[in-house]
Amino acid sequence: MTRRLVGAALVVACALATGFAARGAAAKPAAESTEAFRQKGAPDAKVTIVEFSDFECPACRAAEPSLRQVLSVYGSDIRFLFKNFPLERVHPYARRGAQAAECAGKQGKFWPYHDMLYDRQDEWTNPKVDSFLDQYAKEAGLDVAAFDACRADPATNQPIDADKKEGEDRWVTGTPTFFVNGKRFVGGRQLQERGSRLIAKVLGK
Amino acid sequence: MSASKWAVVGLIARLVVGGVLITAGASKLSSPPEEFAVVIENYEIVSTDAAEVLAAFMPWCELFLGFALVFGFMTPYASVFSGAMLVGFLGALLSAAARGIELYNCGCFGGRFHPKPAFTMVMDAVLLAAVAAAFRHGSALWSLDKWADARYTAARKP
Repeated sequence: MTRRLVGAALVVACALATGFAARGAAAKPAAESTEAFRQKGAPDAKVTIVEFSDFECPACRAAEPSLRQVLSVYGSDIRFLFKNFPLERVHPYARRGAQAAECAGKQGKFWPYHDMLYDRQDEWTNPKVDSFLDQYAKEAGLDVAAFDACRADPATNQPIDADKKEGEDRWVTGTPTFFVNGKRFVGGRQLQERGSRLIAKVLGK
Repeated sequence: MSASKWAVVGLIARLVVGGVLITAGASKLSSPPEEFAVVIENYEIVSTDAAEVLAAFMPWCELFLGFALVFGFMTPYASVFSGAMLVGFLGALLSAAARGIELYNCGCFGGRFHPKPAFTMVMDAVLLAAVAAAFRHGSALWSLDKWADARYTAARKP
């Protein structure tokens, strides 16, 4: 009997040690803030949604209708923040998309440009990326010379890298990851089904 | 084949299945459970709520069963439960294939390694055969079962 207990303890100890070692450090808490142009909604809204996303990620594009639906239903009661999490190992054009959106944001057109990048994701994610990004800038009514100068400026990478670091600290490993009042949801379906329930509960609707 | 050779086969089978289960469980736990839940949701078998529960518990089950097999602890029971999990995975894969659901990731190893469903089906079938060998012969060599039973057997000797 004692040997059985020793055996059980060994199995449990090894499983727990392996499991907790695999999980790594706990996610660090983060202040929900970002550049003003990447935020929507009232600053004192009861519900804050933070999205970590990658402009080249097909799952992020697929989640857009769910996100847009949630924002259209609860829009005035929600503060929404967009954060960049380009997965450059698998999405070679993701950073250029993020840089372009940042530069559009500096000219006050972040959201239209953001929508264009997702809606036309199949079009621009290829070696001709720069010409497409300029074309979208023209369509969005941006000053293309300033837009290109901004994209070439290394400083444009700083907020993107800061977002990426924050995502890693919050144990974001894939995109899109949403935090609704700090509760994690991955993908459009989780946001639409379980996230919406949480939002309705918080808002008492 | 002699009993000693079957004992070696049982040991190897135990270590292979246990090793795969430990790797699968640890890989899944290295990402947030919500990410594994997305993979479960893609099979369109359970609700998002059930997927969240499965995603939280399944990796730990794999770790416990994996270590039980590696150490040869309650080997027949660990083999039966491991076999049941493998049958469940195989059933889910076949069900998805029959319904025309294209799975980008089988979910077996979380987000780190994405084997194609066809590869996973073959792997599951091989592991099921190994589970059968572990069930029948896994306790015979270098196992906690044998270590625990040896004392019990010695104590009962006249």
